[in-house]
Amino acid sequence: MNLPDYNFLSTPLWLITILQILTLTLHLTAMNFLVGGIIVVLWGRLTDRWQTPAVQSLARMLPTATAATITLGVAPLLFVQLVYPRHVYSASIVSAWFWLMIPVAVAVAYYLFYGASFAKNALKRPTLFYTIAGICLLYVSFVYSSVFSMAEHPADVKELYASSQSGLVINSNLSDYVFRWLHILLAAPVVGGFAAGLIGRDDPTAFSVGKKLLLWGMIGTSVFGLFYLLTLGDILAPFMRSPGIWILVPGILLAFAGLHFYFKRRFVPSGLALLASVLAMVTSRHYLRLIHLYYDPRALTIAMPSWTVTPQWSVFVLFLILIVIAILALIWLLRMVFSNRGASQGE
Amino acid sequence: MYYPFWDTSLSYGMLMAVISILHVFISHFAIGGGLYLVITETFARKRNDQAMLDYLQRLSKFFLLVTLVLGALSGVAIWFIIGLLNPSATEVLIHHFVWAWAIEWTFFVIEIAAAIVYYYGWQRMSARDHLAIGWVYFGAAWLSLFVINGIITFMLTPGAWTATGNIWDGFFNPTFWPSLFYRTGICVLLAGLYAMVVAARSKDVSLKARTARRNAAFGLIGLAIVVPTFFWYWQAIPGDLIANAQETMPATMRTIWESYLYIVLLVLVLILYGLVMPKRLNMVVAVVLMAAGLGYFGSFEFFRESVRKPYVITDYMYGNTLEVAKTAEYREGGYLAGIEFRTGDDGADLFRHVCRHCHTLDGYKPLLPAFEGVDREFIASMVRGSEAMKGNMPPFMGSSGEALMIGEYLHGRTDNRHLSEIYDVEGVQLGQKVYEVRCGRCHEIGGYNDKSESLIGLDDEDYLDLLDMAGEFADEMPDFTGDDEERAALIEFLKTIGKEQGGAL
Repeated sequence: MNLPDYNFLSTPLWLITILQILTLTLHLTAMNFLVGGIIVVLWGRLTDRWQTPAVQSLARMLPTATAATITLGVAPLLFVQLVYPRHVYSASIVSAWFWLMIPVAVAVAYYLFYGASFAKNALKRPTLFYTIAGICLLYVSFVYSSVFSMAEHPADVKELYASSQSGLVINSNLSDYVFRWLHILLAAPVVGGFAAGLIGRDDPTAFSVGKKLLLWGMIGTSVFGLFYLLTLGDILAPFMRSPGIWILVPGILLAFAGLHFYFKRRFVPSGLALLASVLAMVTSRHYLRLIHLYYDPRALTIAMPSWTVTPQWSVFVLFLILIVIAILALIWLLRMVFSNRGASQGE
Repeated sequence: MYYPFWDTSLSYGMLMAVISILHVFISHFAIGGGLYLVITETFARKRNDQAMLDYLQRLSKFFLLVTLVLGALSGVAIWFIIGLLNPSATEVLIHHFVWAWAIEWTFFVIEIAAAIVYYYGWQRMSARDHLAIGWVYFGAAWLSLFVINGIITFMLTPGAWTATGNIWDGFFNPTFWPSLFYRTGICVLLAGLYAMVVAARSKDVSLKARTARRNAAFGLIGLAIVVPTFFWYWQAIPGDLIANAQETMPATMRTIWESYLYIVLLVLVLILYGLVMPKRLNMVVAVVLMAAGLGYFGSFEFFRESVRKPYVITDYMYGNTLEVAKTAEYREGGYLAGIEFRTGDDGADLFRHVCRHCHTLDGYKPLLPAFEGVDREFIASMVRGSEAMKGNMPPFMGSSGEALMIGEYLHGRTDNRHLSEIYDVEGVQLGQKVYEVRCGRCHEIGGYNDKSESLIGLDDEDYLDLLDMAGEFADEMPDFTGDDEERAALIEFLKTIGKEQGGAL
């Protein structure tokens, strides 16, 4: 019986890759906002500035930011199996229990945000709530770094699996991903600082705190990013020859441009520059991953696996139409929120 | 076999069930609840019923916490768990349905955003805008179901897709429409039942009565959709799958029969406490209703998951991820060559990829007790003939050597003492144990593939011949490899079966 094959792509790989990179950029931005938001809120608690409007606003936004982070994370999780076939799933199985605990940890953080948000000032220990939520998200980011880093080394995945099949194995090659993890993590105060400054732009203290977070976060993420590059070893040279470096450099410049514009209180260009910087980082990271997985040292090229493309254009076009509708719906919903401010129930 | 195997002590079925049951309950409730909220809000606003609006606002807060947090995250958890438990089937689905899933994601985005705005909009928005957002929420949530329904039903009834490979054939498969209407009915039913729980907490008796009536109407309308569409769904499932289930899955079929009792209970209680005496609705009644509703829906999901056995995607991929299309390849080259992630213990690797998806060693559907007191050759024979066992297991397509490796692996972990020593029995009781271990896996007395009638009229010599020639009756029949004591005891036991069947012994 000739059954349909599944070893095909329903659109060209570059199209799926673009969508994967775009959605992952949005997911990481939302995630950085979330973790950065916790930092600002905790700062508000610890410095007795809890009632500062910027801190209060950020605290109220955390549940929605969590929803956004989760929602935006679903799409890249879908595409990852096509862009890096089998590698991420295989690595996740080796660390299965840690991987499976990710939704649990996010659920705990999510409920803590809502708990703190609904209780408002009545809550006796919001610091504890936000601290536990922060720890949960740190766990999530660490496991993601661990699994995705493991996925880049198929031989390591096999070796770790051979050592134990229990799903209780964590990527032991810490030097491979600890700097990368810290690099991503320190992008959170950058985005959190930006958000604090934007929301509290009329509050000199909020702006100043935002500035400090942005500056030190930027320094920290740059330092760890550099350390990470230095740990690449044999991969560094091919990366320097790949398009990844041509994307990384403007990404760094855009990050500093974001800092510059923030200092000038030009929030729109600053935000756009930071977003573009994240996009550049994600794209260069994609190239780095391809080099890890498919670099052929003899041919000095990335030897990508070949795919048969059996297009499903009708479904893809439907998706494009619906994504446009979804964006319009989001704009409409936001307009509803802002245009109805002050309107009372039952009008 | 392209992936590592997560060898956890928990059963795969249990892990999948815990997450998926949580998610399907919440996700269906999320859709029906959205419909309930907007319809009830519309009526409440028309009548300027502030008490009802306050009730709805309370309802929507809990709704937000349950559906938005737990619903969304349990949905993500399903992604995680299917990738861990059955990455191969997930890979098949992603390659074929990636854009369907992407479409579903667009609805998910709208659904989540609308749910948040709807909740926070109670105090901040005009009635018209608030209702509009409620409808957008419901529409997006239902469309999300529409898409996922196509993929779920595909796994049971891929229909013409197996011949054409066309995504639309797979998506709009034979059970798509009945399942969609059925699930829509479930959404309405669960929303009504959940609203009953919230109504039961109300201290305002008048409000309680009004909401209970409305909630009961919701529940009954849901049931009115669910009952006929289930039979439609049943009719749409290919006859051979149903026939196989009827013959080999008594528990699955019993679940369906029992589910009718839930319906009767739901109808009676909804009429009684919703329409006849709604003021007497209390938390106990509401919880019983909710439990019955979830029990009913759980029965359906159990049926749906079970009826496609031995497949995970009917006619395409077996539950243990082996591909139907590669049957010849497996038969020719065996399994081991295709197992990408090896541990150095071939028997263990084979056991994991061939058996472990459905069986554990000593937990759910355990294999160690099943092979107590037998030799490895017998276990290998049972593995080779697994297709005949129970009638709903995938065929073993590997080599005899590989079956023997699995036999060796299991034999090394089972209690290898003599059955008489393990169970401290002798005579007919020992024979019964021998029967359970060596015969009963395929020939259930009074059940699947019962051969006890064929024992009528046999004498001692016939029984001896029967055991001597056991392996020659069919390819999948193992030789009798027990010792003389077991042989004698088994014959004594078989004689008792012959007697019960009215034999001449």
